[in-house]
Amino acid sequence: MASQPKVPDHVPAHCVGAFNLYKSPEMRPTPFGDPFAAVAKLLDGPAVFYAPETTRDGQGAWIVTTAEEQRNVLQDGASYSSYRRIFSSAIGEDWPVIPLELDPPEHGKYRSMLNPLLSPKRVAALEPFVTAKAVELIEGLKARGTSAEVMTEFAFPLAVSVFLAFLGIPDDRLMEFVGWANELLHMGPAERTAAAHKVLNFLEGMIAQRKEEPADDFMTFLVQAQVEGRPLTDQEIRSIAVLLFIGGLDTVATAIGLDLYFLARNPDRQQELRDNPAILPSAVEEMLRAFPSVTPIRTATRDMDLGGCPIKKGDLVSCPSMASSRDPAEFPDPNTIDFNREDNRHTAFSYGPHRCLGSHLARREIIIALNEWFARIPPFRIKEGTAPVTFGGFVFGVENLVIDWS
Amino acid sequence: MIIKVDREKCAGHARCWALAPDLFELDDEGYVLPGDITVPPGQEALAGRATRACPERALSIGED
Repeated sequence: MASQPKVPDHVPAHCVGAFNLYKSPEMRPTPFGDPFAAVAKLLDGPAVFYAPETTRDGQGAWIVTTAEEQRNVLQDGASYSSYRRIFSSAIGEDWPVIPLELDPPEHGKYRSMLNPLLSPKRVAALEPFVTAKAVELIEGLKARGTSAEVMTEFAFPLAVSVFLAFLGIPDDRLMEFVGWANELLHMGPAERTAAAHKVLNFLEGMIAQRKEEPADDFMTFLVQAQVEGRPLTDQEIRSIAVLLFIGGLDTVATAIGLDLYFLARNPDRQQELRDNPAILPSAVEEMLRAFPSVTPIRTATRDMDLGGCPIKKGDLVSCPSMASSRDPAEFPDPNTIDFNREDNRHTAFSYGPHRCLGSHLARREIIIALNEWFARIPPFRIKEGTAPVTFGGFVFGVENLVIDWS
Repeated sequence: MIIKVDREKCAGHARCWALAPDLFELDDEGYVLPGDITVPPGQEALAGRATRACPERALSIGED
C-alpha cells in the first residue's frame, strides 16, 4: 500500500474518513459486485468527512453524503465553484468545458442558449430514432443467438448512436468513439491525454467542416449560435462540443447496463415489469435513484462550515450521487428498490444550475431501451460461467455483462 | 390552494410537468414559468405529488 496519505493541517483528525471513491475494495473492479451498497453505508456516518486521495488524480476532498448538504453545495455556485479543468488539464491547457465548468452568472448565458435544444418537448422529436435504433440492435442480437455482451452490443451502440445523430456525427466510427470515451474516463494519465487530443482533433475538423457546409445538426447550431449578440469564438465552440461529446458517450449506456445487471439477477423484478408495463417510467426513475453513476465535484471559494466541518477556500468538495440517493432522511428504506416509489426526487442528474443538460434525453433513452428489450427478449439471466464486473471511481458502471435468454 | 413557485431555484428537472402537465407550464428552455399557480378544485392531491417531486425544493403549497 501507499505511504500515509496527506491530510491538510486545517482538517481535524476526527473529520478524516477511511472511505475512498477509487481505492476502497468495493470500488475496484469486482465480479458480481455492488459498489452502490458500499457507498450507501456512508449514510450511517457523518454528513461530511475528509477523504485523502479520493479524486481521479489523487487529491483529497471533502465527501458530502446527505441529500440536504449536497443541495447546500450544488445550489450555491457562489461558494462552490465548478471550474476544475477536467478536460483541458489532460492536454496541459487551462480552459473550462462549457457550460459545466462556468459559474453563475457567466454560466447562465450559455446554458440558456443550449437548454432549448434538450428540453423535454424537444427530445420527444428524437424518440422515433431512439426506438428504431433500439429495435434494430435487439433484433440483431436475437438473429445472432440467445446471449450477448449487452454493454458493447446494445447499451453503448444505442446511447452513442443517438448522441452522434444529435451532434450530427456519422456513426460509422461509433466503437472508435466509445474507445476514446473509455480512455478519457476510466484509464490512466497517458491514455487520457492521448484520447483528449484525438477527441479535440476530431471535433475541430468537424467544426471547420460545418462552417463550410452547414447541416441540420448541433454542430451547425454551435457554429451559427450567438451569445451576447456576437458569434461564439472557436474556443467557446470547442469547449461546448467537448462537453457534449464526453457527456453523451458514457453515462446513458452505463445506466442501461446497470439496470439490466439488476434485472438479470432478479427474475421476480423482471416479472413485475412484464406484468405491469405501465410502471416502467417509475421503475426507471427508481433504478436511476438506486444506481446513479456520477460524482459532481466543486471547489470552495471561501472558508466556511459545512456539516460541522471546516472547509477552507480551495478545498475540493465531492458530492457522490450514489450517496445522496440512498439518504434515509429523503428516501424511506433507501436500499429497497421499489418500482412504485413516490416522491422520488433522486440526485442522478445532480442539483442546482448544473443539473444534467441531457437529463430529459437520457430518461427517454433508458425507458425506450428497456421497453423494447422487454417487448422482444424473454426472461433473461447472467450467462452461466460468466461474471459481470462492477466498478466505482469517476463514473460507476458494469462491464462484461453477458446476458442469456435461452 | 395555490402552488408557490420559487423560480430562482428551478433547475429545469421538469418533474412537476412530467407528473402534472396540465398544472405546470414550461418555457422554451424547459423551466417552469414564474408566478404562483392556482390549483383547480379536485386536483389538490396531484398538485401535492407534483410539488413533492421537485429535487430543488422550488415548489410549495400555499393558500389562496
